[in-house]
Amino acid sequence: MVYSFLPPGESSSMKRAFQQGHAGREWSVFLFYVLVVSIVWIGPKVVWGADNSNCFGCHKDESLSKQNALNRKVSLFVSEADYKSSAHGSLSCSECHTQILDDTHAAGGKAANQSVNCAACHREAEKEYKKGLHSKLIMKGTERAAYCQDCHGKHTIRPSKDSKSLTHLVNISKTCSRCHSDKEFVKQHALGAGLSPGELFKGSVHEMTGEMTCTSCHGSHNLRSLIDPQSSIFRSNIPQTCGTCHPEITKQFVDSIHGVIAARGRSDSPTCTTCHGIHGIKAKIDPDSPVNERRIALTTCPQCHAAERISKEYGFTRTQVKSYYDSFHGLSYRGGDTFSANCASCHGVHDIRPSSDPKAMTHKDNLQKTCGICHPGASENFAKGKIHAVAGISGEDFGEKVVGWVRVIYIILIVAVIGGMVFFNFTDWLRKTIDRRP
Amino acid sequence: MTLNERFQHLNLMINFTILVITGFALSYPTAFWTSPITEAPAGMTIRGFIHRLSGVAIIFLGGYHFLYLIFTERGRQIFMDMLPRWKDAKDLWETLKNNLFINRPAKVIKMGRFNYREKAEYWALIWGTFVMGLTGFILWYEVEWLKHFPKWTYEVARAIHFYEAILASLAIVVWHFYSVLIDPDVYPMNWAWITGHLTEHEMKVEHGLELERIQASQKGELVEFDEAASSGGGRIYPLSQGRDQPSSLHRLYGTVRDLNEAIKKWRGN
Repeated sequence: MVYSFLPPGESSSMKRAFQQGHAGREWSVFLFYVLVVSIVWIGPKVVWGADNSNCFGCHKDESLSKQNALNRKVSLFVSEADYKSSAHGSLSCSECHTQILDDTHAAGGKAANQSVNCAACHREAEKEYKKGLHSKLIMKGTERAAYCQDCHGKHTIRPSKDSKSLTHLVNISKTCSRCHSDKEFVKQHALGAGLSPGELFKGSVHEMTGEMTCTSCHGSHNLRSLIDPQSSIFRSNIPQTCGTCHPEITKQFVDSIHGVIAARGRSDSPTCTTCHGIHGIKAKIDPDSPVNERRIALTTCPQCHAAERISKEYGFTRTQVKSYYDSFHGLSYRGGDTFSANCASCHGVHDIRPSSDPKAMTHKDNLQKTCGICHPGASENFAKGKIHAVAGISGEDFGEKVVGWVRVIYIILIVAVIGGMVFFNFTDWLRKTIDRRP
Repeated sequence: MTLNERFQHLNLMINFTILVITGFALSYPTAFWTSPITEAPAGMTIRGFIHRLSGVAIIFLGGYHFLYLIFTERGRQIFMDMLPRWKDAKDLWETLKNNLFINRPAKVIKMGRFNYREKAEYWALIWGTFVMGLTGFILWYEVEWLKHFPKWTYEVARAIHFYEAILASLAIVVWHFYSVLIDPDVYPMNWAWITGHLTEHEMKVEHGLELERIQASQKGELVEFDEAASSGGGRIYPLSQGRDQPSSLHRLYGTVRDLNEAIKKWRGN
């Protein structure tokens, strides 16, 4: 591989240089490089100029290497052909390696300074990058945060429209996965166990479009942290981020009860990803999708509406889920009947509103129409009465009480009748068995 | 029992079983025994269809049985014999006292053509079919029902349909299965639902009065009646109730006899 991460020794020395400037200790590292490089390099070279033949004179040697501060072997090989075909192929080495000004590099008098300054030309990109998470981590001293070359490569940088480019649409997920699917990296940075975002993304509906990749949602140079309020993936910003491609849905969602609470910044409020998943979003016809019609009322809505903490905090009852499960709709649905109504059949999908909202599907003025979707000919009376009723003799509703009493009477009846039968038959069996004693 | 009655029983047995399975599959959709239904494609939808189909079948059977009771002589006699009487309660009570060794020595209880056990079950079946049919139709035609009645009546119908189903299923298992399978007098099975006949022993312990009545009437009427044959488990329960005119039912005797012979042959005696 021509491109690779900076080995830990180099990056740490660089980091320190970044933080402290060239302090005394850095010079000792540099002197060490000088020692190593001088052993390998023989003969005077002229470095300055557009003609790179002097550089490749040595760097075309695949075995050319040095030892870094951690005594690791670092290859100094640069493929001339790859470099020539890169976006920077017409530039001279020293336009980026500005520190290598004279023959002393070749003579072993001066080591190359790794800190190539891309910003000298790519000012805008650097400005963006400085806002982003990866540069902030460098500032904080994290060992392995992405520099320009970690995503773009070093000597082989190609324009992102080039399909061979590391930053081409089809390659970005691979490029990001070099760190974010690396078990060691993920562990070090506490990015969570389990599947990496790249693995989850594979096979997702967004990946299958062929037009989406990591940067579509996360941004590129200015990629920000999840906890940064300006981030495209900050909780309250997610509807807008998804809305860049799904504007109609976002429009519906922001007016829904969920969207309104989400905009208030409530961390419990659902946003797009709460129901749809994050990296591994699947089409709703996929049985693995949380919004698949067979899962929505089993896991997706109940994840909050049957959750104790959330229901207590927001003062809504959990009986909706329970009463649904006990209703004909819920029972048949739990058995896999997709003709049976699930939560979304009556409450809507993205535009769920509280039943007090006249625009809600479950508002009393709209219920007849809502029921009529599945029950053609549903009368006005059909839509009256409590839907999410939980039967019980101490129920709130008259119907709840009646059903509660019916249940009590029947249970007594069953226990008495069946118990009596069991008792009578047992005595009968016992007597006949005793009579037959041999 | 005539062939006709045995087919009524068979029809009821099959449809009742289907109703129990397809009904409780809805109430317990995640139970292990429901998985063949829930895992089949459109299983729950087909389940509902079959449930309604069987329900209609049982209602038709009920209607047929009603006509049978009205328009056949035998049916009218069955109805009369099936009516509950004070003696049934006494029989039940005395049986219980016998069983608990309160009656010492045990009283010999002679019961009529249908004993308290059968009467209780028969009328429970009539009642259950009526309740389940009514509540079932409310649940089926909920749009029509809810045009005229408040929603809680629908919920009540749903609760009754469920609890009555539990009651009926348990009654079949506890009461009926004991009577026809486990009862030491008939164990391992009472063959009447296949052969149409009881043995003399079964008649004696369960329908003593009826046995005496038949024996008395047959001694007078059937010259060829061979009492000795009955002791070997032979047929002693004639289908004729001693009526003079041969009815359409009489013509069934031949069929019944043939079937009996066929079954006997099949059983190897």
